[in-house]
Amino acid sequence: MGKEESPQIERRSTRHSSATISKNEAGTKSNEPLPPTVNDLFYGEEEKPISLDDVVSSFPGRRIQIIELMRVLGPVNCPMVPLFIYGDSSTGKTSITLQIFRHLNRPFVYSSCLTCYSPRILFESILNQLLLHRKSMANSYLSAKRCERPSDFVNFLREALISITSNLQGNSGKSGSKKLDRRASGNMIYLIFDNLERVREWDKSSIMLPFLLNLYDILKMPEVGLIFISNTSPDTYYSSMGYAEPTPVYFPDYKEDDLRQIFVKNQENKKLYSSFLDVVLKPFYRITRRVDELSTAFSQLYKKYCEPLSDLGVVPNEEMKRRLFSNLQPHIAPSMNEIFKVSSQPSTDIGATKEAKQKSSSKKSGLEVTDQLDLHMSTSAKYLLISAFLASRNPATLDASLFDSTGGSDSRKRKRKPSEKTSEQKEAAEQELLMKGPGTFPLERLLAIFQCITSVAEGSLEEEEQGSDGLRVQVGDNSLMSDVLLQLSSLCNANFIVKGVSCPLEGSTRYRSTICEDMALKVARSLKFPLSKYLYRR
Amino acid sequence: MTATKACDSASTAPESSANDNIQPFYLLHKASTPRNSGRKSAAARTIDLSPSKPSSSTTTTNPQFDPHKAFQSVWSRIDSAIKDVLRDVNTNVFNEIHSWVRQSFLAVTSSGVPTFAEATKSFPILNHATSKQLFTGLVLIKNMEFVDDLLTFEELGLFLKSHACHVANLSSLDLSTKNGVGGCLRSLLRQFLTVTLDAVDISILASWYREYGNPNSPVIIIVEDMERCSRSVLSDFILMLSEWVVKIPMILIMGVTTLDAPKTVLPSHVLQQLCPSKFTLGSPAERMDAVVEAALVRWCSGFSIGHKVAVFLRNYFLNHDGTLASFIRALKIACAQHFSIEPLSSVLGLLAEEDSEDERVLALSSGMAAQIDSNLASCLTELKRSQKCWGIVVMCLYKAGKYSKVQLLDLLCEALDPDIYKSIASDTRTRSGKGFEISSSSNHSMAQQYLRKDGPISQAIEKVRDLPASPLSQLLKSWENLTVDILEINVKVKELQPMIKLEEGKSLKQDFTDLAKRHTSRTAANIKESKTINEKAATLLANLVRDFMRPIECIPFHEIACFKDVEKLQSALTGDPRRRIQVDLLEFHEFLRCKCCSRSCNIPLQSMPDTSIMYTLAQEHGDLINLHDWFQSFKTIVMNPSSKCRRKGKQSSFPKKRKETNEHENKSESSLQARLCRAVTELQITGLIRMPSKRRPDFVQRVAFGL
Amino acid sequence: MGREKPAERALLLLRSRLCDPSFVFNSFSDSSDSNYSKLKFIISSSVTEACNNSILLLGPRGSGKVAVLELVIRDLLLEYPDMITVIKLSGLLHSDDNCAFKEIARQLCMEHQLLFSKMASFDDNAQFMIAMLRECGLAHKTIIFVLDEFDLFAQGKQRLLYSLLDATQSVTSQAVVIGATCRLDADQLLEKRVRSRFSHRKLLFLPPTKEDWQRLLEHILLLPTESTLPQDYAVEFNAKLQNILADNRFKGIINTCMNIDSTVNHLLKFLFRAVSNMDLATGFLSLENFKAALSNIQRQPKLECIKDCSVLELYVLVCMRRLEIKEQNSYNFNSIMKEYKSVHDSCQTSDYYAQNVCLWAFEHLLQRELISFNDNRGNNQSIEFRPVKLLVSSHELHQGLKSYRSCPAILHKLLAG
Repeated sequence: MGKEESPQIERRSTRHSSATISKNEAGTKSNEPLPPTVNDLFYGEEEKPISLDDVVSSFPGRRIQIIELMRVLGPVNCPMVPLFIYGDSSTGKTSITLQIFRHLNRPFVYSSCLTCYSPRILFESILNQLLLHRKSMANSYLSAKRCERPSDFVNFLREALISITSNLQGNSGKSGSKKLDRRASGNMIYLIFDNLERVREWDKSSIMLPFLLNLYDILKMPEVGLIFISNTSPDTYYSSMGYAEPTPVYFPDYKEDDLRQIFVKNQENKKLYSSFLDVVLKPFYRITRRVDELSTAFSQLYKKYCEPLSDLGVVPNEEMKRRLFSNLQPHIAPSMNEIFKVSSQPSTDIGATKEAKQKSSSKKSGLEVTDQLDLHMSTSAKYLLISAFLASRNPATLDASLFDSTGGSDSRKRKRKPSEKTSEQKEAAEQELLMKGPGTFPLERLLAIFQCITSVAEGSLEEEEQGSDGLRVQVGDNSLMSDVLLQLSSLCNANFIVKGVSCPLEGSTRYRSTICEDMALKVARSLKFPLSKYLYRR
Repeated sequence: MTATKACDSASTAPESSANDNIQPFYLLHKASTPRNSGRKSAAARTIDLSPSKPSSSTTTTNPQFDPHKAFQSVWSRIDSAIKDVLRDVNTNVFNEIHSWVRQSFLAVTSSGVPTFAEATKSFPILNHATSKQLFTGLVLIKNMEFVDDLLTFEELGLFLKSHACHVANLSSLDLSTKNGVGGCLRSLLRQFLTVTLDAVDISILASWYREYGNPNSPVIIIVEDMERCSRSVLSDFILMLSEWVVKIPMILIMGVTTLDAPKTVLPSHVLQQLCPSKFTLGSPAERMDAVVEAALVRWCSGFSIGHKVAVFLRNYFLNHDGTLASFIRALKIACAQHFSIEPLSSVLGLLAEEDSEDERVLALSSGMAAQIDSNLASCLTELKRSQKCWGIVVMCLYKAGKYSKVQLLDLLCEALDPDIYKSIASDTRTRSGKGFEISSSSNHSMAQQYLRKDGPISQAIEKVRDLPASPLSQLLKSWENLTVDILEINVKVKELQPMIKLEEGKSLKQDFTDLAKRHTSRTAANIKESKTINEKAATLLANLVRDFMRPIECIPFHEIACFKDVEKLQSALTGDPRRRIQVDLLEFHEFLRCKCCSRSCNIPLQSMPDTSIMYTLAQEHGDLINLHDWFQSFKTIVMNPSSKCRRKGKQSSFPKKRKETNEHENKSESSLQARLCRAVTELQITGLIRMPSKRRPDFVQRVAFGL
Repeated sequence: MGREKPAERALLLLRSRLCDPSFVFNSFSDSSDSNYSKLKFIISSSVTEACNNSILLLGPRGSGKVAVLELVIRDLLLEYPDMITVIKLSGLLHSDDNCAFKEIARQLCMEHQLLFSKMASFDDNAQFMIAMLRECGLAHKTIIFVLDEFDLFAQGKQRLLYSLLDATQSVTSQAVVIGATCRLDADQLLEKRVRSRFSHRKLLFLPPTKEDWQRLLEHILLLPTESTLPQDYAVEFNAKLQNILADNRFKGIINTCMNIDSTVNHLLKFLFRAVSNMDLATGFLSLENFKAALSNIQRQPKLECIKDCSVLELYVLVCMRRLEIKEQNSYNFNSIMKEYKSVHDSCQTSDYYAQNVCLWAFEHLLQRELISFNDNRGNNQSIEFRPVKLLVSSHELHQGLKSYRSCPAILHKLLAG
């Protein structure tokens, strides 16, 4: 506990009833907001900051980077040029930086450009931390200073930094005599900007990025250290005007054995897990090398791996390993292709069974619609969806031949002619489909196709309805037509059809259907609509 | 029937009062179909007419007989019933969600609650890589339309609130590109700590949660319609949440229509942060069944609908928009129209209020001794009783049909079909010489031959015929519960029970023996009696159908309770405004009854309103109209002075025409052009034509063709 | 303990030197033909003769324009106390005229102990500035306006520049406008009315020569023998340093470093890493430190990225490369998948994954910025249809594959074509 703590605690106990005194330290701390102090600029109030070896050991395969960082940061009170830490996501940039500061126990101001999503928020959060200001109900969640422009920010920042450094010098002088281990912090203060790559998207005017990168030269304060943490390498930060390049430190992705150490590190049964890793790590390593992705994938596989085991404390021998492997074997390949889908698949058992059912049903392509299309749509919406699908798949030139009133078999031969004639054109068309994806179409075309297929389908529907039951009152195509625009809008809302930007009154909007083919087929099947007959096969 | 004739004059006033409260749906219909001249002019004068005609003709002042009140009471009953039912549909899903929320909250907080200082610091708490994962509930909406589920998510929010969670509902409006991440954070804070700030970040939420939030209750964020959100904003938002999830135990709930929606909407590194689990809301079909049961089948309020109407509603639901909301709306319109049309329907108001028989009789006899001969009362009791039976039978059928996925709506349509019943009834009458109990097989065939093959009813009966024992016994139990208050059915059901018991016993015994043997034994030994049981059950069902399922339209005086006018309902629902507009433009004289241009509608006359002249002229052109030609033809029509129609024009009620006739002499080119422009603009506003494009400035394009 | 303390103090000293440009550029100040003396002459003359002036300092970033200017101003402030007011603006902060004037007013107020009102309007501030100029002119005080990132002031309506340079035309005022920019064509950016008022006096800051570097090295790295540092340590340190400097390998290192970028800043960066690599136990700089520093400084980010890729991502890259070889002018994920399939069909590769997996890898590459979309307008077209392009040259790709540990041989073959 820092020496600044103790007087506060006295103060609090005097303020509050004796109950708070009897209440243990952690309790009070977790419940009641302390008035922010200089200590909030340090990592935490631990009595003993962790040693460098702890840091190194807690991050396998990062020794070099840690040493490098330590060197750049240097001993107490020595100024540094801006530092640029970069590397792929989940390579431990942020964690290691913070841990190092915890070890060095120096004051710093951390601000992630992800959380601070705009210049103003970033500025204000930095200033709040420097001015020891915490938003709360008391100050109605306002920040210490309102500041939107870089120019104001620089002025405020100067004042704040000066005050804080003097403050630090003061108490480091005071405490240097008393607690050397605690207050070896020196009078430098470090500004850490995390997720710097987000800044590039902030303003197209591209003032923000050069400003941040030149901040050191603008401030001209040697007792300030700037640290930028970014997912992307410095060469991706090209801006119209250059900047003094900060000195880089690179965090490469983890190698295979590093990953192994990381995964084994926080497992209770290390032997078992390592035997598990022997099986899974290598294949997955060929796909991705990110810790977070791998860990999500492994956590589920490991469950499967442990299923046959009675107690997880067991130390696996060879043949047990073999058995476990043999029963894990079938799961690996699918989960390798599933791994990414799993992330959005239900983890609850109902869901799993549901999925299974769907797969089976789609395999046997049963006729019951409820399994096919687990989504309720009105008939006209379905027709509309299908016609949109057709409109965006078929070339517009073929509509005439496809959707004449007969609609049926003769349209096939008519549409085969051109496709046979020009194969290279076909190639081009295929390429074009590959490139452009589903094409766009105007509203009129959609309506026309809709008319055609409904008129055809209505006929068939009519007679089969007559066959089954005379229940239907007249549902002519006009009654299907009636609120087709409403249907269209709701389809657009559901992202089945996306709409290009244009004035709706003009009616010149172009639409595009985004649904995949099997979805369309499902819908068609639910209507007993011969989609494949109308689909132009290239 | 006499009653209708009697109160024919009174029918307008209640109508006016009735369609005050269903203005939007009812309007088009009112404007279109001509009833009497006074309303006609009203319709033509303005677009948003509210026919507040002074109800001079209303004779009765008895509050019970005010159809408006009657409608109110009846509809309120139906409405409340529907609401309860819908709530019940969701409850178990909600419970599921809540338990999941609980356990995921434990999972989040398992790594230890950060102290206040830690939680409010700007830098993240260092943990394992997976600790940034955000527990996400994907709530599957089984409907393309989102309307029905807005309410659902509200209720979900309330439900979770009531279970001590901090809940905020976000919609796609909050997560739009326009107001960005700041926007949704702002609305979050507005909902949580009821302040509106201009500069918001999530740290505020953290400090709030630590200061004022309940430490052992999660913060739940419901994104109602995930597909509609803008991708970038949503992904940024999720990333931000996942940075803070250690400090604030946040749990995300997102409504999606399809399961792979997240994959399409979100990039991979965002998906990585989610740890999803799936919940499924009740599909519209089953909700619909529940609603139908509540509103129509069990005779909760006197109101019921005729066969054709039912069919229409079903088709409307299936074909047009599958939203429950629209179905309920349609029901409401039907109800309102019924009360507006049917004078005696106001009795239902009473019928709805009183429950027990005798009181009702008293009330009726006392209340309407004035107008109605008292046998109506008995008829009503009869009506009500048979309706009860009918409902019960339908429910039985439904319970049976559930095993073969029969929708109650279809069942209802068939059950309401009068002529089926008539045929069956006549048939039974012919062979009524034989006693009530006819040998099952013949009976079955007899009952079946009138029912439609693969119609829902016969499906249900067939299903009963080959149902394994245990579900069969459950089915019978459910029947018994259904039929408690109709004795003669109940006894029949009870007869079947003991056999089932015995059957059960057998099957239980066989359970102890191993599977294969069980099969053989079942097939061998007791296939027979099980068959007989099923036969009996099926027969019973068939008999019930034959004897008790009297569609309401086969009962005298059903007009009081039953609404049958399909055309009205249809025209009220599928208003088809574009078509309507065109029709009205062509047949305007339907509204303004001016003599001048009544006789001929398709050849344009000078006295016609400009817009309709223009539109009639436009009919002759193709999809592109040359403005100049158009203007010329318009001019020729308007200019040529036909004295007759000018004289007519004087007393015609159309203001513009009067003006025109007054200064007919100095009618200048410019004024003509002005009128043309005005007409064209009106046509454009009504969406019939499109303004000239850049390329062809002198052409307008027709948007709507045909009727 | 022993060496620890002095070593640490030495390190501290060196690093503070490296982070303090004014110290670094002191070394240039003595020579007569240096920019320092030129600039100093110009400004001091205009201060003494009470005339207006305007100068443009041109030079690549990090060539010490501002640093030298600061030196000059510092010295002038010593020479002519309370005759000079310095107003510093930076194009990064004050490119917007409004806040530029506000800032000027603020600094003027601070200089002259006046009360500055935030609420003052644009015109108020402008008039205030003109008034102050006149006042100072009457009081024979020179106001020096330092406009860093001068080119950024030239974008927009240039009202600030106009009013400043216009003020310099009047005899009453007494102002020196000094612009510093790394755009050599900065004066071409000026509007006509501004350019006509601008005295086209420019100072060009050239990157230092080899000799300058040598001089700088010694100037910076040699420890002062007479200081708080223990005498013997400093001497020993300097001795060791001298024979490092004499070493040919070191010269080689310096040459490569110069070839990359010969500005002073780059040298400083290099030296900083070298110094911070210094081993505190021994307490002396060694050649290895410089070597390490060089490797730290000169990075090849793309190459590193490629080394970091997983095998599947490499496959995607190679497929894209193959498409480019085939002169497919534009391609997207689908065409890549097609290529991938064909590759797989032609030669049965061990790792063939489903489409969604490849999409995943594809998105990884996007995040690594090894590839990017052709058009960055996020149209609602789904990702697999948007055309993409490689951001790495084929050469880099080749090298990356070569240096990749356990890279499947098939990839080399595929890349060869």
